[in-house]
Parts: sequence; C-alpha cells; structure tokens
Amino acid sequence: MMSRLVRFNVGALAVGLAVCGLAREATAQSVFNAAGLGVPSEALDGRSRALGSMGIGLPGGAFMPTDPAALGRLAVATGVFANQPSWVDYSAEGGPSGSFQGNRFPLMGLAYPVFDGMMSLQVGSFLDQNYTDSRTGSVDLSTETVATNDEFVQDGSVSNLNLGYAQTLGTDVSVGLTVGRYAGTIVRTLTRTFGEEIAADVNSYVERGRWAYSGYHLTTGVSATLTDRYHVAASVQIPSDLDAEAQDDTDGGDRTFSLPVQYRAGVSATYGPVLFAASAVLADWSDTQSDLTGSVQAGSANGFGLGVEFSRARLWGRDAPLRFGYRRSTLPFSFDTNDVTERIYSGGVGLALNRTNDITLAAVDFAVERGRRWAGGIAENFWRATLSFQAAGF
Amino acid sequence: MRMAASTAMLCGVVAACDEEFPVGITGTPLPAGPITVEVEIPWSDFASNLEVFGGYGSPEDLGVGFVANQFAGTLDARTLIRYPGYPQAVTVRDTTGAQRPDSSITGIGGRLVAFFDTLASTNTGPVTLGLGRVQQEWDPTTATWTAAIDTINDTRAWTEPGAGPVLVVDTAVWDPASGDSVVFMLDSADVAAWADTLDLSRGGRIESFDPGPRLQISQTRLRLDVRPASNPDTIAELTVSPRSTTFIYAPFPDPPPDGVRIGGAPSWRTILDVAIPAQITGPPEFCAEVGCPFEIEPGQVSFAALKLTSRTTDAAFQPTDTVRLDVRPVFDRASMPKSPLGGSLVGAALGRAVAPDAFGSSPGVVIEIPFTSFARDLLRGEDENGNEPPGTLALLSVFEPLSIAFASFEGPGSALEPVLRLVLTIGPDMELP
Repeated sequence: MMSRLVRFNVGALAVGLAVCGLAREATAQSVFNAAGLGVPSEALDGRSRALGSMGIGLPGGAFMPTDPAALGRLAVATGVFANQPSWVDYSAEGGPSGSFQGNRFPLMGLAYPVFDGMMSLQVGSFLDQNYTDSRTGSVDLSTETVATNDEFVQDGSVSNLNLGYAQTLGTDVSVGLTVGRYAGTIVRTLTRTFGEEIAADVNSYVERGRWAYSGYHLTTGVSATLTDRYHVAASVQIPSDLDAEAQDDTDGGDRTFSLPVQYRAGVSATYGPVLFAASAVLADWSDTQSDLTGSVQAGSANGFGLGVEFSRARLWGRDAPLRFGYRRSTLPFSFDTNDVTERIYSGGVGLALNRTNDITLAAVDFAVERGRRWAGGIAENFWRATLSFQAAGF
Repeated sequence: MRMAASTAMLCGVVAACDEEFPVGITGTPLPAGPITVEVEIPWSDFASNLEVFGGYGSPEDLGVGFVANQFAGTLDARTLIRYPGYPQAVTVRDTTGAQRPDSSITGIGGRLVAFFDTLASTNTGPVTLGLGRVQQEWDPTTATWTAAIDTINDTRAWTEPGAGPVLVVDTAVWDPASGDSVVFMLDSADVAAWADTLDLSRGGRIESFDPGPRLQISQTRLRLDVRPASNPDTIAELTVSPRSTTFIYAPFPDPPPDGVRIGGAPSWRTILDVAIPAQITGPPEFCAEVGCPFEIEPGQVSFAALKLTSRTTDAAFQPTDTVRLDVRPVFDRASMPKSPLGGSLVGAALGRAVAPDAFGSSPGVVIEIPFTSFARDLLRGEDENGNEPPGTLALLSVFEPLSIAFASFEGPGSALEPVLRLVLTIGPDMELP
C-alpha cells in the first residue's frame, strides 16, 4: 500500500530523473578518475553515507552489495534507488584549478521474498573512469608553424549487476550471498585539432578505442545481533579478473586487470536513542600494478568510518533520525608514488514516510558530505549529496 | 510538508544535472601524442589527364563591359549594350501647378553615361571612346567578335568582325583624372532607334580609338530628354538601365598546351584525374619519421592540397583584381565539358584568393587549393553517403565568369609542375592505461 505522500514523492523524483535524462550520461566526480582503473564508487544508500559507513554493519535491513546479509533483514518486497550529485573544486600546485560537477545513480535494486529468504537484483557502480584532458603544441610544416591541440576524453565506467540471496538463521543471524557480473564500457578518444595558421579545410585527427568490460564476483557476508545492543557484520568479495575486450574497429588490444579481494566488517552499538557505528574495508590493489602502463601506481585501498545516529528526532510528526559521520580511506590508484587519501565529514537525516507495525514501507534518506582527496600537490574538495528512496510492500 | 519534501527531492536530482567531466590536471596520464608530418607527392604519382576546357558562361553574365584597342599589342574589345523599352509616362506639373502623369511624351534626345571601374582599367590618361548604333540583329548571350548570333540552328556572323559596321553616334574622352564616367550625346533619331523593342538589332557599341589601355565599364545609364504634351515648355529626364551588357573581344585565346588555366569570360576550367597513393615510399626524411613503405589511412589525412605555381598570363588577359579559385569533383569525366560538378571542396565561401600580381609581374607564387575531405574519400573508397567518390577534379573560378582575365599555372612536365601536399597525423593505437 502506498500512501499519497509516497506517490507524490515518487512522482517528483521521476520528474527530476526525466529532466536529468535529457542531460548526458551520468558522469563521475574526481580528478583521480584519470589514474589507473579510476576511482571506486560504492553503491551506498543515504543512511550509510550520512554515517560515514563503508557499507556494512548497520542494524536493520539494507540493500547494498557490500553487506549481503543485511538483505535478509528486509521484511517485505522492497525497492531502492539512490541519486548522488556532487560539486568538486580541484587545484594542483603550480598547475590549474577549477571546478566541475556531476550526477550519478550509484544504487538501484529490487528485492522480493523467495522461499524463506529474500532475493535481490541490484545495479551498482564500481569504478568511475570519466575524465578529459588536453595538451597544446605546435607542428613545424614547410610553410608554417601550426598550433595543435590534443583533446583527450575518457568516457566510461565499470558497474555491476548483482543477484543476491539472503536468509535469516533464527532471529539474530543473517547470511547472504551475492553473485555479480561486471559490465560497462570505456571509450577513449584523442582528437588533434589544428590552429588557423594552415589554410582552410583541415580535418581533425581522431584516434578512438572502445572496450567492453566483463567479469564476475562473489560476495558473501554474515551479520548477527548480539543482545539487542550490538550488531556485527562482515563480508568478503572475491572477484574474477576484469576483462576489457576491444570493440568494433578498435586497434588497441584486449586487456585483463587483476581485482583484489575486498574484506569489510562493521559493528554498531545502540544505547537508547543513540546508535554508534564503525566499519572498515581492506583491499589490496597492488597486484593490479603489473596490468597497468605508465607511471600510475596501484596500492591498498583501506579505510574506516565512524558514525552516530540520534533516532528520537522527528520531523513533521514522523521519525527523522539525525546522522553524522566521518570516514577516511585511501584510493587504489595514484598518479605517482603519493597515495591518494580521502577524508569525509558527513551528516544527514532520514525520514520514514510510512511505517506499519515497525515495518518501514517508504523512507527517504538524505546525506550531505564534505570531503577532500589529496595526493602530492593535487587536491580536490567536494560537496556530495546522496538521496536514496526506499519503498516496500508493492 | 508534501510540497516541501517533493520540492527538495526534485531540486536534489536536478541540481547537478549539468554533467561535466573531471578535468585532467598536472600529472594526468595522457595517451601518447600523434606526430604530424608533411609530404609532397609529385604529379606523376597522383594525377593524370590534365585538360583545359573553355566556354563556361557568357560575358553577358558579368554585367560589365570591356573596351580595348590593341591592348598589350593584341587585344581588341568592345562593349555592346541593349536597353529595354523606355518609360511610357512622366510626372510633370501641369498649367494649374498640379503634379500628374503624362503619357504623351516625345523624346528629343539624351545621353548615354558610361561609368568605369577605375581600378580594373589600365589607363592613366585620357582615352577617346566612340559610341555607335549596331546595324544588324544580335544576341547578347552568344555574341562574339565574329558572330552576332551563335545559337542552336542559328549562326550569323557580323558583317564586319567586331559588331560592325555601326552608325556613329558620338565620341567622347574619358580622363580618369576628371571622374569615373563619360557621356555620349544622343539625338532624337538615336533615341527613337532604340525605342523599338521588337528590333533585335537595337543596341549600342562602345569602342576605344586610342590603342593601349583596357577599360572596364562597370555600368551604363541612358538619360532620355522628353517633352510632355501637357507642359511642352518643360523638358523632363528619364533614366533607363540596360537590359543587357556584354563584350566581345579578339583574339580569343587557345587552350594552353602545357598549363593550367582558370577563369576568363567565357570561363576556363582545368580538369585532372586524381588518385591519392595508398602507399608512400619517400622522401627519405618522411620515411625516417614514420617508416616506409607507409600505408596511408584516410583518417590520417589532416590536410590535402594541390600546390600550383603561378605563371604569367598572356598580357591581354592578365588579372587586375583578386582571382578566386575553387576546386570541385567532376561526376562524369566522359561527359566533359558538360559533366555536372559536385560542391566546392575548398572550404571557404569565396574560394582561394590569389593576388593578381601572381599572374603578371610576380609569377612563381605557390598556391594551395585544399581538398582534404575529397582526399579522405578517395582513400576510403566512398564518401560520407557511401557512394564511390569521383576521381576527377575541376579547377575553376568561384564565380563564372568573373572577369575577362584568367589565372595561369605551370602544368605537368614543367619544373614547377603541380604537386600534392599531404599533412598526415599519425598516432599510436589507442590502448587502455
């Protein structure tokens, strides 16, 4: 059953998405997308973002591929959708500075009860790789020196399509398993244009390559409620290699990239109306180094997050928990030997739009993050909002 | 509350709809850059079957006239003008002082005023000119020095070459120091003779009596003096613009046996077959950069142009103004000179501009006529529509005709024969990082 309020907000969201649909494909949000395989993009909802979570260890049902067991705690059929705009200011020592913005849809999924558990179908982001760059130069021809501009655009990302199943064992333990397939494409285009020094009718030079990604991963996790106060969860994601197959008339070759096993763990504790949460992730990407060319460095992408939630807050007569968080992690790829560090302060609010018998039928979770990524002389500060909508019972 | 929540949700989604790619900064890895190299291919390796065709357009299309008397020791040119019917009424003040049209008018004389293009004319001093009435039927579109009419099934020569003989109307002297026009006086008989629009012989001929210069008449006007019946004490002036202005000249130049000719009136076109070599084996400096033999891919052609070297045009037909060159594909060489042409390949609305000195006092100027897209199509074997591109090019004037003068270039076999200039951009295969 869906209340008018839920329908109204779904309509507003649909209008917004339709407007965005007129814009280009959703793009990513970091200058470090240019390094290696890009920047990992976690498929998290608004609650996890607000609590600085690594996507695991929060009580209650959840819908994230990073915490397969949380799926089993969903009581009824559920759908989730997350939208994530961001605004980024970047600078480099002795180099350029500027800003850009983008919009992503990191998480979409449906879950439905099957047998005694819950089965889900999710689409989530994994690696963001979009960026553009240019360089200028000149060419000495017999009759003139002509300015050149090489414009490079990398347009692509890796996403994953996940099929998950989770089941509770008794009342306190839940286990989950997710099988995912990596998908996505990347198009790399270099265009050389010439200055007006040469006569008219000069054609640009375009070199383009397009690859399709494929690969698989298996993620399994377990979560448990210890007394009514503590909740713990852990997951491990075991991926296959990531294959990039050249498409169409691409002259470049096929490639294969090693992906790391990712370990996640989280814990939360409830003291009355206050929830404390902590989580961590470990992933060693250094094996990917041998698959890369150039000076890009691959290393560990470890991180932790801390958060607190005040559940007694109310807004417009409804439960509206306030959340605050902090997380710090490293990114797997850097331009040189300087590791890229990410630090985020976050806050947010949830709004239960419809609850029946302690089952949330519709909820919106909103998070705002203020973060910074830096490595060597390169830094970027960003604002990022995450709005996730979860509806159940239809 | 619902409105607020919905608005917030909508704004959140829409706020960052404007997608922007992250911008690379210092240290961003970029793919290896391509190299851009240049190579010149000799005539024999890319072109053949050069041929010059004439007769495109008519001098009448220019709407201007030329007069010359042994210009450069050879060229005679005369301007022929035909006027349409005269106005049949004039507005005059009657005896009551009111303005009213009067269709009962009598021509009593007039003047033919000729205006000159002072920049295109070669004289610096006064020139004596003559105006005469043509005495036989003539066709403004097809008239030449020898033919009064040269249409299908109707070819008639002038009684006397050069649109003669004529009935002398007047002589006048044009001195560029005193103005840009000259006036010939007409009597009532002259005016009456040009009033009959059914008379195919009506028309005036302007010629030069002084040998040497070549004058360009930009326009003429007929100023008619008429007397209205309603107010016979008043003489009114009516202005008539010509219906046709053309010129005839001799000698008519023969096609060049060894060169490239573009322009003139009627216009000349130069046709050549082109085949871009798919493989380049030299010169050594090119091979040193990219390795030889080098297979050209269509996408590597950044610039392709025909390099022509100008040479001095016959003195009688040397340009006095900028020449604008064009190049177009010829769809069916076998149908020349009547093959239809494709669109301009130059990429500039007014073509490739060349200063007139290149064909007079400063020959040897190298002119590039680009046709990059055409070259790519030739290498690819099809154009953007999937059709096989024609392998023949026409070099021509952007406007046909544009002037009595034409451009001349060195042809095949000359030490300065045309060459093909290719600017190639060659990059490594795009790879993943």
